[in-house]
Amino acid sequence: MAPAELSVKLQASSGSKIRDFLNANLINILAAFLFLLLAFFLLYPIIAVLIKSLRGPSGFTLEYYRSFFSKNYYFQSLFNTLLLGVINTVVCLVIGFCLAYMTTRGPWILRKPLKIIALIPLIAPPYLFALSLIILFGRNGIVTRMFDLHWQLYGFNGVVISQTLAFIPLAYMMIENTLMSLNPNLEESAYDMGASEATILRTITIPLLAPGLLKAALLIFVMTIAEFGNAAILGGRTPFLAPDTYTMITGESDFNMGSVLSVILIAPCIIIFFIHNYLLEGKKFTTIGGKPVASEPRKITPLIQAPFIIITTVAAGAIFICFAVVFVASFYKILGVTHNVVLSNYLDFTSNQAIYNSIRVSFVAAVIGAFIGVLLAYVIVRGKFFGRTFIEMVSLSGFALPGTVVGIGYLLAFSAPPLKLTGGIMILALNCVFRFLAVGVEAGISKLHQINIEIEEASADLGASFLTTFYRIVLPIMFPAFIAGFIYTFMTAIVSLSAVVFLVSPGFALASVKIFDAAVYGEVGIASATTMKLVLIVTICMLILNFIRNKTRLGGSMKKSAAV
Amino acid sequence: MDMRENERPMLILKDIHKFYGKNEVIKGVSLEVRKGELVTFVGPSGCGKTTLLRLIGGFTDVSSGDIILDGQRINDLPPNLRDTRICFQNYALFPHMTVAENVGYGLKINKWPKHRIEARVKELLEMVELQAFADRMIDRLSGGQQQRVAFARALSLEPKVLLLDEPLSNLDANLRLVMREEIRNLQERLQITTVFVTHDQFEAMAISDRLVVMKDGLIEQVGSPIEIYERPANEFIAGFVGYVNFMEGRVASIDENTRNTVINTEYGKIEITLSQGDINSADEVLMVIRPESVNISLDCGGKGQNVLSGALKSYMYAGSLAKCTVKIGDRTMIIDQYNPRDAQQFKHAEKVEVHIPRSVHLLKRKR
Amino acid sequence: MKRKPIAFVVAAIFSLVLAGSTPAEDINAYMGTSPDNNAKIAKFIKDKTGITVNQTFQSFGEIEARAKAEAPNFNADMIIGCGSPLAFMAKKSGWSHPYVSPAWKGVAEVFMDPQGDWYNIANFSFVLVGSKDRLAKAGYSMPTSWKDLLDPKWKGEILMPSPLSSGTANMMRFSFLALYGDDEGWKFLEALDKNIAYYTRSGNAPTDLVGRGEFMLGITSDENVKKRIDDGYPLIWSIPNEGTGYDGTYALIFKGTKKLAACKKIIDVLGTPEFSTLMAEIGYVTPRPAPNALYGKTLPKYIKLDLAKAADDKPKNNDIWKQKLRTDFK
Repeated sequence: MAPAELSVKLQASSGSKIRDFLNANLINILAAFLFLLLAFFLLYPIIAVLIKSLRGPSGFTLEYYRSFFSKNYYFQSLFNTLLLGVINTVVCLVIGFCLAYMTTRGPWILRKPLKIIALIPLIAPPYLFALSLIILFGRNGIVTRMFDLHWQLYGFNGVVISQTLAFIPLAYMMIENTLMSLNPNLEESAYDMGASEATILRTITIPLLAPGLLKAALLIFVMTIAEFGNAAILGGRTPFLAPDTYTMITGESDFNMGSVLSVILIAPCIIIFFIHNYLLEGKKFTTIGGKPVASEPRKITPLIQAPFIIITTVAAGAIFICFAVVFVASFYKILGVTHNVVLSNYLDFTSNQAIYNSIRVSFVAAVIGAFIGVLLAYVIVRGKFFGRTFIEMVSLSGFALPGTVVGIGYLLAFSAPPLKLTGGIMILALNCVFRFLAVGVEAGISKLHQINIEIEEASADLGASFLTTFYRIVLPIMFPAFIAGFIYTFMTAIVSLSAVVFLVSPGFALASVKIFDAAVYGEVGIASATTMKLVLIVTICMLILNFIRNKTRLGGSMKKSAAV
Repeated sequence: MDMRENERPMLILKDIHKFYGKNEVIKGVSLEVRKGELVTFVGPSGCGKTTLLRLIGGFTDVSSGDIILDGQRINDLPPNLRDTRICFQNYALFPHMTVAENVGYGLKINKWPKHRIEARVKELLEMVELQAFADRMIDRLSGGQQQRVAFARALSLEPKVLLLDEPLSNLDANLRLVMREEIRNLQERLQITTVFVTHDQFEAMAISDRLVVMKDGLIEQVGSPIEIYERPANEFIAGFVGYVNFMEGRVASIDENTRNTVINTEYGKIEITLSQGDINSADEVLMVIRPESVNISLDCGGKGQNVLSGALKSYMYAGSLAKCTVKIGDRTMIIDQYNPRDAQQFKHAEKVEVHIPRSVHLLKRKR
Repeated sequence: MKRKPIAFVVAAIFSLVLAGSTPAEDINAYMGTSPDNNAKIAKFIKDKTGITVNQTFQSFGEIEARAKAEAPNFNADMIIGCGSPLAFMAKKSGWSHPYVSPAWKGVAEVFMDPQGDWYNIANFSFVLVGSKDRLAKAGYSMPTSWKDLLDPKWKGEILMPSPLSSGTANMMRFSFLALYGDDEGWKFLEALDKNIAYYTRSGNAPTDLVGRGEFMLGITSDENVKKRIDDGYPLIWSIPNEGTGYDGTYALIFKGTKKLAACKKIIDVLGTPEFSTLMAEIGYVTPRPAPNALYGKTLPKYIKLDLAKAADDKPKNNDIWKQKLRTDFK
């Protein structure tokens, strides 16, 4: 031990104070840099929208807001949007809970297939369901014709159904996460004490999951009112804020009114974010031994089992059928009109080009996003500067911001010199980076909480500079978080529509926009085939990424080095 | 051990098998637990001890075999209908309830009237000395207090069998000693049949009436702590319940009257008094030599019976005992020297004498 | 370390992806005809000039909105296919680069701006389409007058595009206003609204939706009707006896483009008889007369229009539209 001590002392006395100062401040410099990025690419566009909504030709005005609140039309639109949000959230929560319960507590053989079905919609654009609903239940849909039905798909109901199906994966993922984090022994204890399944659900599971469920509900609500694809395709005459905003901007090019609608759309998000951050603060239950463990299957009583099985079957079946329909439709020129199988939809050149572009954009977004996410997580956890929580809040908020609003914000903020970014790949990538940053940051934060700061201190103690420590120790440890951020950003970016639809430029069509246009335009075959190609490519990319992740898994060696 | 009152076993396991897919984790376990007895499943991790406990509790179905509780076959009963209560390793206390609500949870579920619940909870909390904490939330308790709440909760419904899954492993070393004594005292006082699971062999020996040593889904040996320690059935058990020095030999002769037995080893003859019946003359045997059973002395040159001479490789003095590493031939022997009085001399000694006791246990060597 | 090669590969792919590929000569264009037709036009240009046209599909209305939003820093070099409101506004606002193309000599004045600020590559109109199967099943025949559409039996069965997003719909609106006069015209639109299922985003969408039998009738752009019938959609079309309106499909060069020479080349080929033939085969009425795929040799009866006034009135009419038609629901 003695020689090492000596060398440390020697270093301290020689001019390492400057380096210490730099080391100590590098993290602050990094934080400042990251904050600037966040401010520039996330806050500024939103503020630009706010300003646009308040500034008329002759300066500040509330005219546009007065116009919003004095028109019945907008109220109806707002009411529809909120109602859609509430219904959607409740239904998604129930279905998500049932699915998650079955995949975490149900029979082993059901868990994997159910999980796959529940997550599959993630790799398809969310308006895939609008497409398949039209094919099946449209006024001349397969089912409608078969049973000679007279229902009205184009309107509120159609939007609710397609939107619900589209948001099941998100609900499922978040609820499954909370269910997994719940120590199975808690429910088993209650079971052991004589409680029936229903009593366990009522007295243990749901009360303990309440914060997680609430968080999931808030997020679903925010995202569902902002998603405009389904409402634009199936809304019929029923107005919703998100597609209204889209028409306001792209059709009427009324940026003032479009900004007002955006601000109205964003208001619930901000309120919800506030609720989430402050009201839930004290309501976290800590349990000992929080390591996620798979629960063993239960002997669920038939009475409880029945609704679970019905809901799960219906939801999983609906998702499966919708995908199957799109798959079948992709082989027909016009499903239901012509009857010969064709491959021309798959050979469509422009859609292949669009998919290629989508992959490029998503890849760039994923690399940048994962990297910034990891850095942000690092400064949030390890930094000691003022405003840390603010940075955390901002970086996590992108997730809850309506895509339409971000899209409009980018259009307003970056379409004129000197900040002209429109018309290129970077604006598409960057808006994805900052919207989907949250997952990478959260993964990074939890990873950093797992590892002891002493590892870094040990490295610094051995004479490594901040940068060396960061490069040699922190980055490798954070690698799984990097991959998590990468995968999430890639997957979300490649299917996202609501923001990029404002930002695509000639010669750079994206697959999601292409599918949306084809669906709106009525080219069901092309839309379906492009969707299937996208699904296939995303699946392949995911498999490759998983392969890389497994190859570079550092878990084992990491633990050893941590133990030493 | 209490055998007078009730001869019928409280819990019987009959040839239990458990498969997870194709993987057999319990490979045929049979066991009887008497009323009031504290039986411990002990073994290295992955031996199936926790699975076996979960099978008894009803959290997992047995693949084949029977579980019989107080004369009744309970294979198909779910946990909420079995008269067994489990205490999990992590206590599994409900974090959204107070101490009293936790302890009273089972009573409430079983529709006890309110005043009786209150009385019972009070009684239980007094028993575990937590009266003052009744209205605290769980996360405001220390680990030991949480342990006691879990214990009280498990006892609230007076189960026929109490199942304890490594209840002490989350406590620090000192508290563990205190708690294990408390649990044992309560268990003896209430005469509650208890199955205890631990991977800590010393804890197991200290607390149990009987130990069930498991390995790879099978029971290796069942016996009292003394039996297990002094007469282990095989090398694994001998090594599992404490450090052991093995020495190969061959039985040269057994005196049928005195049981005086001579064993030839590569270092000379060792004479012992045979206390087991499964050893015959000319058997190849393994002597189980516990570190504390060996006497060590400074080499005086003279050679007595059962004395081997060796080189002292290390001598680590630790107050109440000294750990000696002695090289005999090409074999290293660990010897615990309790009450080490000549430590100063030993520290500089090079040659020592090792006295093998006459009570050595023998294992037959398999070929 | 083991991860170095991976980092290297990632960096390599990253730079590759960012760089992309740049073809020899290309321009960016906003193109407002249907995706199919955009592709046909782009191919024609590529074949004749060797210039690659990068394009996005957008409706006329969306191109208009985008041009307004981007002005004066356009993300495209030119427009091939937008409605009259944008073409006139571009000229007025100085967004277009004037170029008098010799290739366009001799076309009617409706097809070319005297100063060369805009060129009308093809006129299109709107027609009534009906779903053969659905009409037969209901026992209805195609209406012969626009006013027939007001019959309550069509309630929820008629589709038309929304003038808020579609240039075609704007044409429909100003045509009806011209046909009936402002007061009567608005009354007609209001009454029609009662029967409209919903207003589509794109001017061609009713063709497809009616073609698939989702709705019985559609007021739709004529450009795609022929193609859809050829594709096998069970569609019938007609023009009611009052006649139909028309609007141009305009091409113009954005001021400030760095690829002026290429844009001029493109304008030139768009004035050739071959291009007119291509467009006429699709179903457009073209600057150089050619047999029309949809109408044959006799062109439909047209409502008398003032396109410049229509363009000026558009914002005002949008406001009236919203006030009159957007207050009721379902």
